[in-house]
Amino acid sequence: MTKGMKKYFKKKIIWFLITFVAALILNFILPRLMPGDPVNAIVGKSISSGAPPEQVQQQMEFYRRQFGLDKSLPGQFLDFIKNAFNGTFGVSYSQYPRKVSDIIGGGIWWTIALQLPAILVGWILGNVLGAVAAYKRGFWDKVLMPVSLFFSAIPAFGAAVILLVIFSVNLGIAPANGAYDPGMIPNFSWSFISSVIWHYQLPFWSIVLISIGGQAVGMRSMSIYELNADYVKYSRFLGIKDTKIVRYVFRNAMLPQVTGLAMSIGSMVGGALVAETIFSYPGLGMAMYSAITQSDYPVISATTLIITIMVLLASFMLDIIYAFIDPRVKAAQFD
Amino acid sequence: MAKKMLEVRQLTTKYITRQREDVYSVDHVSLDIEEGKSLGIAGESGCGKSTLALSLMGYYFPPLHYTSGDIIIDGKNISGLDPDVVRKTVLGSEIAYIPQAAMNALNPTRKIGRFIEDVIRAHELPMDKKQIREMAEQRFALLGLPVDVLDKYSVELSGGMRQRVVIAVSTILNPKVLIADEPSSALDVSSQKMVIKMMKDMMAQGLVKSMIFITHELPLLYNVTDDIMVMYAGQIVERGSAKEMVFDPIHPYSRGLMNSILVPEEGTRDVKLTAIPGTPPNLKHPPSGCRFAERCRYATAACRFNPAAIIDFDIGRQYRCNMSVEKLREVYESEERNS
Repeated sequence: MTKGMKKYFKKKIIWFLITFVAALILNFILPRLMPGDPVNAIVGKSISSGAPPEQVQQQMEFYRRQFGLDKSLPGQFLDFIKNAFNGTFGVSYSQYPRKVSDIIGGGIWWTIALQLPAILVGWILGNVLGAVAAYKRGFWDKVLMPVSLFFSAIPAFGAAVILLVIFSVNLGIAPANGAYDPGMIPNFSWSFISSVIWHYQLPFWSIVLISIGGQAVGMRSMSIYELNADYVKYSRFLGIKDTKIVRYVFRNAMLPQVTGLAMSIGSMVGGALVAETIFSYPGLGMAMYSAITQSDYPVISATTLIITIMVLLASFMLDIIYAFIDPRVKAAQFD
Repeated sequence: MAKKMLEVRQLTTKYITRQREDVYSVDHVSLDIEEGKSLGIAGESGCGKSTLALSLMGYYFPPLHYTSGDIIIDGKNISGLDPDVVRKTVLGSEIAYIPQAAMNALNPTRKIGRFIEDVIRAHELPMDKKQIREMAEQRFALLGLPVDVLDKYSVELSGGMRQRVVIAVSTILNPKVLIADEPSSALDVSSQKMVIKMMKDMMAQGLVKSMIFITHELPLLYNVTDDIMVMYAGQIVERGSAKEMVFDPIHPYSRGLMNSILVPEEGTRDVKLTAIPGTPPNLKHPPSGCRFAERCRYATAACRFNPAAIIDFDIGRQYRCNMSVEKLREVYESEERNS
């Protein structure tokens, strides 16, 4: 590691810490600015409508103390920090007395299993389509590109609903919701795994379908730019084979695309929200959505904190990766 | 007579535009260069000199297309050969190219040494990685370039160094013909000088057997090349030795070109610079007569209808004009007397 590199990363880390602290504060405050009292909602559900007012009052006092909502805002913030650092993130309001870490632990693997392959497949297909459209032109450029753009112009919920209506409601060949058959208990049996794969299709393709176009457009224009670069002509006149030159071109055109990939991986949890909600997929996005509807502050704060950390990590990783894959970035960053 | 390294006969190439129009940017160009000699090609921008450089390579890709003519390198006609054969056996090894924008000619994500490896591999020479490396190191040392450049990316090099690296890479297979398209135009004066010196040295050492040097800077040609050719609207309008072309140009266009620049020689102090009025014709619809007639101060009505042919009028001298050499000389002399 050179001196310039050390200095660069030191500066980066300081900035990430500042961003992290700011995000921590916002993650705490923003949910609490939402209208509605979480305790009201819980007590309203757990107590029959004819209960005497004193009893209701008592219940509310109980929950307020349990959740620490009787403390001042700075006091609550300290609790939040403490819980964040001991890893539990406190207790969920809506699923009391379940720990937040428990809820997140149950959802995060579903989200990763759904999102990571979908993002990767969408990214790879998009880049291949963009590169081929730039190189071959014709059918690829005139037909497939507009079609993929059309799909990426559909909002996420739209694509999910369309797939749901066609394949589940009309054709009846795919399950409409959940990650596995409702009667099953998660285990490693073949019937369970095949049920998971079966339930996986619609949410997976709804994410892939809308992400192809956006990636393809970027890759196509970068490829066209690189195909016309001076080094292409020069390499040709040196007798280098076209197949080799095409490899130069697509490698260079891919470089900016890595940013898109890292950012979608970083914002995976937020991106999962729509597909998971529509298909009732038991992931983190779903947990976040139901937490928002019930003003479940600890769950909201924890999930948004995960998003923050993932985005920060992704952009930090990007800086490191670029230093290895693009000598221009390296030269510009570390001098 | 010395061996001819490059002989070009009636080479014609065209651009096909997006509107499917043919633009003949190189129109029946013939030229030859003997072993150890260099030829300068001059002309204003858009005259087809860069296109000529591309066309001479014998390897065409859209929008440039080959139409007719022959390119004979050291007795071997490469026109009409299969493009892949040209790529493997001609490009880089028989004829090499130094691009106009050499600053960006190197792949930014490939180390110089690796790129040289790619070049050697493309010609299927029986050399392994280590041998290629040794050869590259020897060549860089011979040309006075630091050997550690081989382990660097082009972005890590200065502009002048990048240009010299490009020249070294282009000539690594000792080509018989080197075509340099304004290799120094983007450089500062001291880098320019270094690049020119490097190319002259390579000629002297026999690493390059002959050279075509394309530029719009005529004074540069006078110092670098043996002969000079002037192009106008895709055609050659005059050719002669560097000295003849600078001090005794015959064609009205070459004469205008020479009068519009300064050649640092004795007596320059009193020379008045004059510009050539007008702009070159659009080659989508070239004039049916002499292409320079529109801008020529000596043109007659007939010049606009009669195309001028290229004629040999002295040893190694050619010109393209409807007027005779004697007549032109007479006109120039009377002009000088009157001024």
